[in-house]
Amino acid sequence: MRLETEVQGCRVAGVQAPRPGGAQAKLRTVLHAALRTVRQVAGAPDYERYLEHHAASHPGRAPLSAREYYADFVSRRFGAGPSRCC
Amino acid sequence: MRRFPSVALWVGVAALGAAGFAVLALSRGESVNAAWLLVAGVASYVVGYRFYSRFLALKVFALDDHRATPAERLNNGRDFVPTNKWVLYGHHFAAIAGAGPLIGPMLAAQFGYLPGTLWLVAGVVLGGAVQDFTILVASMRRDGKSLGQMAKEEINPVAGMAAMIAILAIMVILLAVLALVVVNALRRSPWGLFIIACTIPIALLMGWWMRSFRPGRVLEASAIGVALLLLALVAGRWVSLDPTWARWFTWSGTGLSWAMIAYGFVASVLPVWLLLSPRDYLSTFLKIGTVLTLGVAILLILPPLRMPPLTRFVDGTGPVFAGKVFPFAFITIACGAVSGFHALVASGTTPKMVTRERDARLLGYGGMLMESFVGLMAVIAAATLEPGVYFAMNVPASALGPTAETAARAISQWGFTLHPGQMEALARQMGEATLLSRTGGAPSLAVGMASILGGVFKGPGLALWYHFAIMFEALFILTTVDAGTRVGRFMLQELAGHVWKPFGRTSWYPSILVSSALIVAGWGYFLYQGVVDPLGGINSLWPLFGIANQLLAAVALCVGTTILIKLGKQRYAWVTLLPLAWLAAVTLTAGWQKVFASDPRLGFLSHAQAMAVSASPDAARLIFNDRLDAALALAFMAVVVVVIAASAREWWLVLSKRKAATVNEAPYVESAYATGD
Repeated sequence: MRLETEVQGCRVAGVQAPRPGGAQAKLRTVLHAALRTVRQVAGAPDYERYLEHHAASHPGRAPLSAREYYADFVSRRFGAGPSRCC
Repeated sequence: MRRFPSVALWVGVAALGAAGFAVLALSRGESVNAAWLLVAGVASYVVGYRFYSRFLALKVFALDDHRATPAERLNNGRDFVPTNKWVLYGHHFAAIAGAGPLIGPMLAAQFGYLPGTLWLVAGVVLGGAVQDFTILVASMRRDGKSLGQMAKEEINPVAGMAAMIAILAIMVILLAVLALVVVNALRRSPWGLFIIACTIPIALLMGWWMRSFRPGRVLEASAIGVALLLLALVAGRWVSLDPTWARWFTWSGTGLSWAMIAYGFVASVLPVWLLLSPRDYLSTFLKIGTVLTLGVAILLILPPLRMPPLTRFVDGTGPVFAGKVFPFAFITIACGAVSGFHALVASGTTPKMVTRERDARLLGYGGMLMESFVGLMAVIAAATLEPGVYFAMNVPASALGPTAETAARAISQWGFTLHPGQMEALARQMGEATLLSRTGGAPSLAVGMASILGGVFKGPGLALWYHFAIMFEALFILTTVDAGTRVGRFMLQELAGHVWKPFGRTSWYPSILVSSALIVAGWGYFLYQGVVDPLGGINSLWPLFGIANQLLAAVALCVGTTILIKLGKQRYAWVTLLPLAWLAAVTLTAGWQKVFASDPRLGFLSHAQAMAVSASPDAARLIFNDRLDAALALAFMAVVVVVIAASAREWWLVLSKRKAATVNEAPYVESAYATGD
């Protein structure tokens, strides 16, 4: 996994590196993509996506930890302004 | 010649839709199948999407995939994130759909199923979806600015201030009326109350899980939350059957309204991660799951519509709420046809996540079509009830009398049939003590949903489905109460911050406590008065909510029209002016009638006059409330007039070249996502 080599010391949320080839690895990739979709539809935080973004645009700087990222995400999403309708 | 198959296809779709409407409108006497309603609605949506939204996207807004969206330019991996359009569609839909599109059509069913259906379909294609789409595009081109900011910058500061006050006022009335719906659904219902009470510890557990135990694991926590919720649903039956437990969870309306008020205050003061965000996730999953299941169930059983297309109550004598079909059908059904509240969501999270400009067509226009479809499902749920049962559930006790016998007599006078034993049998089936005069729409929606869902998935039984439906509605209404109180608090803090600086600091505790208390007191007052109102509360509060919501839509359409004119697209300004004119006519007529009508059931002031000569011990309080409601309705109307006048002045200045037409769009940046077309 590209991420795990680039962002050291950070366990990527919900992902285990798939072994190359095999039906099990394929299933895992599909499941992973499905969970990611569900997360985005629900407006849930996606730490992995953040790490990808961080690695791409701010290389060299340490990213937020999973806990810090979550706290930041929640305060942005629910902190101000209506996010829900009647 | 190559175009022929496509033309034939679309003519066919249009003809199918027309046939659907013809069957709905022309049937007399015999019952019509819900399939016709779905055919009429879906064919109209598809035609509207294919042609009208395409026209809006290409000609009116000139959406351009080469122009980078804020999600691309400002991508921060957090709130600005380019998102797959189908994923964002689901997300946007979950944000705009709530209890509104379900409750409104249920109440409006007193006119029969036809007015609601026509308004849901025509309103969304020409109004609601246009509004959502326009505001989404406007906000997307302004880095995700909010409706209030856009009103201030594009029209003028007066309109901005009016929009802000309108949003605050609609929030207070919205929270009061939704809380009233929940109170009416849970009063003297130990099963229902037990489940809803359980959602609080479940949310706290989820909050702790996602914050401290397994940071950020929302899906995990939500799965546990949903499982516990279903457990509470099943356990609720035992609670309702055990005399001691049942006594604990049998609450009166006033007791419940105090509990709601206390809950709203606490939820607004607590940190968001503890209660608000877990509840939000829980209700999002439940909402998407239930809407999909209900849709599938309706398609599988295609129930017959037992309600007539039109009832005699179009003349304004309706017992559920007073007022003629015009303007009150268009006020009662706001969400699902045109909902001003969506302008807040369309200028909130969604515009920051759009990858390509043209995705906005699916999100803004298409998202609203889906909400309208949810409204049609509510119409179907209402129309599958026998009319007698529908009125027995939705008419307040003041008109039905205290017993099943008096209710049956009243209903037969209106020309519908109800056997005295029928309601008792239905209540037993649904696991409730009584279903008479359970106003507010939620219980009758739950009965409709239970009969549809229970008809397909027979295993759990009707009582379980009924309480599932109650849980589904109450859960996301309570989520709105949490979030709305908090948003109201922020807005109040911002407004008060102009007067006294420290109050504007949103994290300063004295300011948090005072502003939360004020907002809760605002909606709590209307809620409590609604609960003790002899006419049932819905009669005065729901129209006020509808007027406020449509008023906000008028503000949004003013912003849209102004932007179109400033862009030099005045020849297309009718796309927003047409729905604006309609909404202005509807809100002003309805507001006027609610204040000045001579029928005391309809007009606030004539009701106050009638109370003044009555011997009722509550007369003084009722008179005060009538005057307060009248003042509120007048204030809403004043805001509409101010915003329209301010906008019209701006249009005239720009069109007569007295003022340079400048829009505040973010600069054009070439997109890296453009595929070339």
